[in-house]
Amino acid sequence: MFHFLVRRFIGAIFVVMGVSFITFVIGYFTPIDPIRQMMGQHYTYASWLVLRHQYGLDLPWYQQYYNFLVHFAHFDLRSIHSQDRLVLDILKDGVPISAELASWGLALTLLLGIPAGVISAVKANTWIDTSNMILALILYALPSFIIAVFAQVIIVWLNVHTGSSWPVANWGTPWHYTWSDLQYKIVPIVVYAGAGYAYFARLARTSMLEVLNQDYIRTARAKGLVEHVVIYTHALRNALVPLITSIGLAIGLLIVGSLFIERIFNIQGIAQITINAVIGGDYPVIQVTAMLSALGIVLGNLLSDVLYTIVDPRIKLS
Amino acid sequence: MDKQEKDFDAAPSELLIPTEDITPPAAGVVRTPSPEIEGIREAPRSLSPFQESLKRLKRDKRAIICVGTFLFLIVLAIVGPPIYQRIGGIYPSDLEGPIGPGVYHQYYHQELSQQDQLPSARYWLGTDDVGRDILARLMQGLLISLAVAFLVEVVDVGLGLLVGLLAGFYGGWVDQFLARFTDLMFAFPSLLFSILLVGVFGSSANAFFSKIPIFGDSGNARLLVVSGALAFTTWPLMARYVRGQTLQLREQQFIEAARASGTSDFRVITRHILPNLFSIVFIASTLNIASTIIGEAGISLLGLGVTDPGSSLGLMISEALPLTDSNPWEVLVPTIILTIIVLAVSFLGDSLRDAFDPRSRR
Repeated sequence: MFHFLVRRFIGAIFVVMGVSFITFVIGYFTPIDPIRQMMGQHYTYASWLVLRHQYGLDLPWYQQYYNFLVHFAHFDLRSIHSQDRLVLDILKDGVPISAELASWGLALTLLLGIPAGVISAVKANTWIDTSNMILALILYALPSFIIAVFAQVIIVWLNVHTGSSWPVANWGTPWHYTWSDLQYKIVPIVVYAGAGYAYFARLARTSMLEVLNQDYIRTARAKGLVEHVVIYTHALRNALVPLITSIGLAIGLLIVGSLFIERIFNIQGIAQITINAVIGGDYPVIQVTAMLSALGIVLGNLLSDVLYTIVDPRIKLS
Repeated sequence: MDKQEKDFDAAPSELLIPTEDITPPAAGVVRTPSPEIEGIREAPRSLSPFQESLKRLKRDKRAIICVGTFLFLIVLAIVGPPIYQRIGGIYPSDLEGPIGPGVYHQYYHQELSQQDQLPSARYWLGTDDVGRDILARLMQGLLISLAVAFLVEVVDVGLGLLVGLLAGFYGGWVDQFLARFTDLMFAFPSLLFSILLVGVFGSSANAFFSKIPIFGDSGNARLLVVSGALAFTTWPLMARYVRGQTLQLREQQFIEAARASGTSDFRVITRHILPNLFSIVFIASTLNIASTIIGEAGISLLGLGVTDPGSSLGLMISEALPLTDSNPWEVLVPTIILTIIVLAVSFLGDSLRDAFDPRSRR
């Protein structure tokens, strides 16, 4: 187990470094000139050269990459735009908001999705199952931004017809829950959950159906166990095993942010920061956010592997 | 898994090498038609697997509806604009004097005195915040979505088939390269990667391609970058599917028979393996069309795809977003169309999977 973790951590570092290098290469060859963008109409060739030198953008590529790594390791990487702020500070603004949205969203997803899938499997081929699966199929096919736009239009419609003034966009104070904060947060969280709901409901149904067809379930019924004991103690625990993998990955994605929901609801999370950095050519920020995403995915995978061994002790990591 | 595959690799090649030496006479024998084969030909022909799949597909009502919707949208995107530009009377514009539908039904024409109109006889789906006709922009946006989907699919299927076949059939460094490359691409969030590529190279592509007349000044030049980025992130998955299927096929007896009768590798690949890959490639690419359309709309929504004089479903949503409070209609129209097209394509993909690969059902 220990060896496995060490090896995976080393692998993770390589992947994250690989991602940072790819982003660096893309950034190095980009035609966008961040200095030029920053100077705007105050552009003169002389001051352009000075600033370029000041940011180390006139160095050869290996020195630039080395400088990036050194600054990154010292946590004093600075953004090119936004008044030379530390990239770390910029992340501190964005990550809590994204993480808040994603953790509540994931909690809601699991609370709704897994029971819905289990009920669907237990009542397979009844109207409950069919309607639930049609809903899940539609939600699964649609991207989150479509669901978000529909949610917004429904709010506007309700506002017009009931005379209330529920907010359509923006986010309250992170991790504060007064009534007005909640008003801002509920809808994006529900939309986030809706996108994940479909995935987990479908997965839970499939895996539950598979378990319910096993011999030991028949044995459990044959020896006269009550139906809910059969389902919740014998079947559910085994059906959860494949779900754990996805949950681990979803936890890894908590810090990555959700581009579209943040864009539609105008939430200043990490994904919005990434987009703004891409548009402005702010490479230190882009590199760090890309590394953060890759780290999230890699750690999520690792977490799901570890969770796997906890749920199913027969699986040995090596 | 890997180990098993390697064992697979070793065994048949040992078996096959000696048999290839005996092949030339065997090939000659097979060619002379025996009376038995003639007898079989006269019997009523049974359906080929492909025809049976088509039959299953035709019985599936949902699939037929989806195909109909998809075809309707394609026809609308191509034939719609020229027809729409001939319908409607003369409109006395404030700035340009009397203009016909050929002008005000163009997707980039701004009629500033007609902002945020609801549907009317002149503007069938109303106008947006700078007085452009929503229906015209919608049709143009559809065309963009479909064009990107088509471009991406061409690259995806082409590259995926080529690399997947080589990796599956020969193994070796192509296989190694594919495995490493897909690992890296899976670790890199694909949407973020497309966004990076588009964001970084989009504006210069705009400048570069605007010299080519067709792409012109309508801000569509970024399309090529968008398609390139989307294709770049999707083809490894297709290559993996193809590789897996090829690995399975390679070990089957009819391939062994073909090899035993001295068929060249090239012919084995093109005549025996490729036709058997049809269903998996077809299903995967149909399902992929949906995610490509979503991807293009998403990139345009984030302001990195098609830019303003041009039109795209995502761009329309993005421009109408600040107006959701006052004019929800404008954001609703492109969203509904996007919903319809995405649902149609993904349901069609599901139906295709049911029809062409009945074993995978549920």
